[in-house]
Amino acid sequence: MRIMAIIFLFLQVGAAYAVEYGYTVRSTELKDAPFSDAKTLATLPEKTKVEIISRQGAWLQVKEQQQGWVRLLSLRTGEGRATGGDSGLKSLLNLGRSGNTGVTVATGVRGLSEADLKNARPNPQELEKLRQLTIHPAEAQKFAANAKLRAQQINYLPEPSQTEKTGSSNPASFGGER
Amino acid sequence: MRRLIILLLALSMPFQARAFQLDIGKIKSLVTNASQLREVDEKQEVEIGSGVASNLLGAAPLMPDAHVQKYVNQVGRWVAQQSERPNLDWHFGVLESNDVNAFATPGGYVFITKGLLLNMKSEAELAGVLAHEIGHVLKKHHLKAIQKNAQVGLLADALSIATQSSKNTEALNKIAGVGTELYARGLDKEDEFEADRIGVVLAARAGYDPYGLPLVLQTLANINPQDSALALMFKTHPAPTARLEALDKTMPVNLDKYATQPQLATRFVKTLELNQEKLK
Repeated sequence: MRIMAIIFLFLQVGAAYAVEYGYTVRSTELKDAPFSDAKTLATLPEKTKVEIISRQGAWLQVKEQQQGWVRLLSLRTGEGRATGGDSGLKSLLNLGRSGNTGVTVATGVRGLSEADLKNARPNPQELEKLRQLTIHPAEAQKFAANAKLRAQQINYLPEPSQTEKTGSSNPASFGGER
Repeated sequence: MRRLIILLLALSMPFQARAFQLDIGKIKSLVTNASQLREVDEKQEVEIGSGVASNLLGAAPLMPDAHVQKYVNQVGRWVAQQSERPNLDWHFGVLESNDVNAFATPGGYVFITKGLLLNMKSEAELAGVLAHEIGHVLKKHHLKAIQKNAQVGLLADALSIATQSSKNTEALNKIAGVGTELYARGLDKEDEFEADRIGVVLAARAGYDPYGLPLVLQTLANINPQDSALALMFKTHPAPTARLEALDKTMPVNLDKYATQPQLATRFVKTLELNQEKLK
C-alpha cells in the first residue's frame, strides 16, 4: 500500500515537471521577441493561463492561442489559484517527515517550529563545527572563477515610492494571497 | 506686598511647568538612548550573533555532509564579498531540517534548511536566498530588533565587555534568548522587502542571474500554504506573491540586463546529486 502511494507520488511529480503552466498576474503584453521594444502580438488579460516553453533572461516564452514572450515577473507558475497548486513537493516533504504534523514539541523531535525556537538551548559544539566550515575569500574567488562568474558593479535598488508600495504592504493582502 | 508675591508666583509658574516638561523629555530620551540607540560595535554584534546562532543550532543541528556545507559556504562567501562588509567572518550552514526556511544572525551567520535547499534548482537560486539573508546582516535588521526588545539594563550588562564576569555571560545568554525568540515572531515586513531588494543586487554583483531569488519565491508560492514545513516561514514573512509583486516594481528596469548571467544549474544539481543519499 505504501509502495503504491510512493509510486503515485512520483507520477504526480513527473506530470508536474512535464508541462509547466503559468498565469498572468496582470494585463500583459505578449511580444514576438524577448525585448521590451519588440512587436506586441497581443495583450493577455489578467489570469490568462499559458504554457511555459522556455526562458531567456527576464523573459519567458509562452503559448496561449499563439506563441510569444512575456516578462518573467508578470507570470506566476502553477495553475492560477492564488493558494497555489500541489506540485507534489508538499507530499514529498511530508513523506520525509514520517507523519510528523509539525507539532514537534510533543514528540520531542527537534525542529524549527515557533515553539522549538522559543525553547532552543545553545549548541556550542555545532557552532564550532560551523566556524570550521568558513571559507577564505581567496578560495571563494577561485570557486567563482571556476564557473566563470564575473563580479559586476551595480547600485542597490531604490525603495519603491510610497504610493507604489501600498498594494504590497497592506497586511490584509498577505492573509488573502496565501 | 501680598499682591506682589502672588503676581511673582503667577509669573514663575509657566517657567516651572516648562522646566518640568524639559526634565521629563530629558529622562525619556536618556531611557531611549540606553535601550534602543546604544551603539553596538562590530565585536559585540558578532558576539550577540554567535549566541543566537548557537541557539538556532540547538533547535536544528548542521546537516552532516561536509561536501554540501562547503559548497554553500563557497557560494555564500563569494556573494558576501560583493557587499559593503566583506571583512566580516561570514559563516554559512545547512540545517538538518525538512522545514523550508532560512535565517541570518547579527555579525555574519547565515543558515538555510535542507528543506529549502531541496526545493531549489540552481546555484543562482541558492545565491539569491543567501544574498537575501546577507542583506539582513548588512542592514542589521535583527540587531536593531534585539536592541528594541531587550530590557535597558540587560543589553548594557551584556555589552560591558570590560567586566568579563559571570553576570556578563548570563546577560549575553539572555540577549541571545531574546534574539532567538525574534525568529519565531519575525521581522518587520519592510525589512523583508528591503532584504529582497538587496538580495537580487548582490546575486547580480556576484555574476549570477538575479532572478534566482524570485524563482525560489515562485516555487514557494506553489507549495500548499497549509504545509507545516512552511508554517514558520509564512508566519514570519510577507506572502511570496507579495514579495514578487514588490520586486516587480524595481527589478525589471534595473536588473534585466544581468538576467542572462549564469544560473549554474548543472554545478548545483551535481553537488547535491553526489550527496543525494545523505540528503534524502
